Amino acid sequence: MTVKIKVKSAESGSVVDMELEGHNSINEIIDSAAGYWGMTAGAYVLRRGKSLLRGTATVADLGIINGDVVELIPDPEGGLPGIAGAHGRHAGTA
Amino acid sequence: MSVKIVSEVKRQPITGRAPLDTKPHLWLNAEESKILRLRLAEDMPVPAYINKHAEAKMRNHALSARKSKTEVMGLMLGEVRNWKGQEYVLVRDIVTSDLDATAVSVKFDSAGFEKLFGKLDSAGFDYVVVGWYHSHPGYGCFLSGTDVKTHTGIFVSPHQIALVIDPLNFEAAAFKIQGDAAVKVDFAIYWDEYDDPYGGLMRISKR
Repeated sequence: MTVKIKVKSAESGSVVDMELEGHNSINEIIDSAAGYWGMTAGAYVLRRGKSLLRGTATVADLGIINGDVVELIPDPEGGLPGIAGAHGRHAGTA
Repeated sequence: MSVKIVSEVKRQPITGRAPLDTKPHLWLNAEESKILRLRLAEDMPVPAYINKHAEAKMRNHALSARKSKTEVMGLMLGEVRNWKGQEYVLVRDIVTSDLDATAVSVKFDSAGFEKLFGKLDSAGFDYVVVGWYHSHPGYGCFLSGTDVKTHTGIFVSPHQIALVIDPLNFEAAAFKIQGDAAVKVDFAIYWDEYDDPYGGLMRISKR
């Protein structure tokens, strides 16, 4: 069954309507939204309310349903090699 | 079936003049303040305007870690605006959470994500993440190589700024990335009529 959700980009405020299947993973949603907006998927995660979503958990696993709104936000832990947290390490530069 | 994007509602920058009640950050030096005041007098926006309450939160956050000399950080929330073809941002508020910090590094502590997301939910307006701030306790305001990587990896929109605060030397500076390099950009502190508890009210004198 198709699940229709909205994904908001925290950095532009734009919103896409997305159609998913229960087997789709969070990573696929991130890849799709980040790719659409020209972002590097590895640097972002999804947020649904107070929960951080990422990885291979599926739409069905997480109970994502029609009408859910998730937000694509910078990964608070970084996500990209060389980026530790939404800030990063200054080692050697201080 | 793969994930399918069926439509998009794009948010456009709000067209509007920059705030009129502005002043330089109190930690700019006299020369920087003088130049900025001249720019603010023109009818063209500077790249960023930070609400005075948001600025105080960031400054106090950095000052709170003066003793430990550890870094602090957070996200700046606001809106993107456009005036006379020039894009600028209003920083209306900031959010932060529990941090994993040392004297030369900082990141959000994973135990604090729930708190961070709760603060985003309570922002009270349809925010855009217009940038991030962090402190350099005692070693000046600049973007390190890793800061540049962080900014280019995570804060990719051209309007997004990085504010750096040095709470030991009482300095603050804002940056954007141009090419591979960090470039210092102008920013101002603004307030609006709602910040003045008596603004717009008739003054009634005591008899």
